[in-house]
Amino acid sequence: MGREKIQINEEFWDIMPDDYKDLVNHSTYGKTDRGWKDVGSSTELIAEHSLCAGCPESIAFRHIMASMPSPEDTVMVGSTGCTSLVFPMVAVHNIHSLFGNQNAVATGLKRALNVRFPNKNKDVIVLAGDGATVDIGLDMTLQSWFRGERFTTICFDNELYANTGGQESGLMQKGFVAKMAPVGKKFEKVRLPEIARESGCAYVAVLTTSKPSLVERVVRQAVLIAREIGPTYLQIYTPCILEIGKQSMEGLQEMRDAEAAGERFKFREFITPEAQAFIDDMAAKKKAEKLASAAN
Amino acid sequence: MYLVAHVDTSICAETACKLCTQFCPEANTILYDNEKKTAFIATDRCKACEICVSICDNMAKHSAIKMIMITDIENPFELSKSGFRPAEWNSMVRPKLISEKES
Ligand SMILES: Cc1ncc(C[n+]2csc(CCOP(=O)(O)OP(=O)(O)O)c2C)c(N)n1
Ligand code: SF4
Ligand code: SF4
Ligand code: SF4
Ligand SMILES: [Mg+2]
Repeated sequence: MGREKIQINEEFWDIMPDDYKDLVNHSTYGKTDRGWKDVGSSTELIAEHSLCAGCPESIAFRHIMASMPSPEDTVMVGSTGCTSLVFPMVAVHNIHSLFGNQNAVATGLKRALNVRFPNKNKDVIVLAGDGATVDIGLDMTLQSWFRGERFTTICFDNELYANTGGQESGLMQKGFVAKMAPVGKKFEKVRLPEIARESGCAYVAVLTTSKPSLVERVVRQAVLIAREIGPTYLQIYTPCILEIGKQSMEGLQEMRDAEAAGERFKFREFITPEAQAFIDDMAAKKKAEKLASAAN
Repeated sequence: MYLVAHVDTSICAETACKLCTQFCPEANTILYDNEKKTAFIATDRCKACEICVSICDNMAKHSAIKMIMITDIENPFELSKSGFRPAEWNSMVRPKLISEKES
């Protein structure tokens, strides 16, 4: 699919909803250099949804939707949780999977897309909460990495089950007390990024969504490496302000505190030498292109 | 009644920093008029989280955004009615505070 696929037949212009027309006229489908810079001046690929006011999950969604390299050739796979309230409002093909099954569904999807479109890059991106990724779907998450499935897994880590009122999750911090987990967590936060690295991921990054430019770099890298090399994993801190007792405007500061030196979301990334060589090669080609076009 | 964010164009236009647009959690809610060089709010999408207020106060250091009662804004911009039409923004009637009318 390309930009031409979303065009409206002239006869139907007058009956199409305005939102759709805006996407045709002002969105960034098919733009090879799309990115964070486009947000104020384009129709975003996400619209009104029912997440809480100030929820960092919705900031992360905006940043990710602006950053994926080719949304018109991407299929996202979601799971149950607060993120599933957003997917109906996302202008990229997506599948809602049974809670926990997202990486199994993405596996089948990616393989089918390879058979159906052998000469085209079709990106698959899983986006699910920590409960879906690490607890209930851990089997599916890990098995897809063991098998080297070529798609990106993004975990919105809010360190608990937000959508059902605040139960304990594997990614919750030790000792944390939540509304539905009053005793306090007895175990350490699961070290999924390290597990991802050891399980075959070619690229792993841990971050918050406090810097759009960083999210853009990391998302692009993860999607492109998954296309060519192997599985990639991003763990993004999207604090559930509702369940940790913060005000709607405090999410950003919460993320900044959590990414300070020595804190659990201090930015870190892991990349295999093969994936790094691929990224370097791409950067070199881009530079050469730029020089060539400047010379003309 | 409820509060929504409101941008004071005369203050915002001095810098045109776009920081608020980057951090608003809602998509296409703080829009940016490149010709008038000012941010403005799609009031029908604003959830009143106040993130933009603290961004403009503390990061941009301009204090151009205030939370205002929806009934105190004249000509509020609504994306669901006007659509995303940047070409029309330059000539549109700007949202302003009703209290500004008399002065
Ligand atoms: C198979 C199945 N089991 C349990 C549930 C109930 N359920 C809905 S959302 C949710 C928790 C989601 O937590 P997480 O994945 O961390 O996402 P968040 O809401 O925190 O973003 C649970 C257990 C369900 N919908 N389906
Ligand atoms: S419950 Fe928490 S994670 Fe879910 S939308 Fe509200 S703030 Fe966001
Ligand atoms: S942060 Fe303030 S000064 Fe900057 S664009 Fe937004 S309203 Fe204008
Ligand atoms: S109050 Fe929140 S939702 Fe409304 S414009 Fe500001 S940042 Fe966006
Ligand atoms: Mg969660």
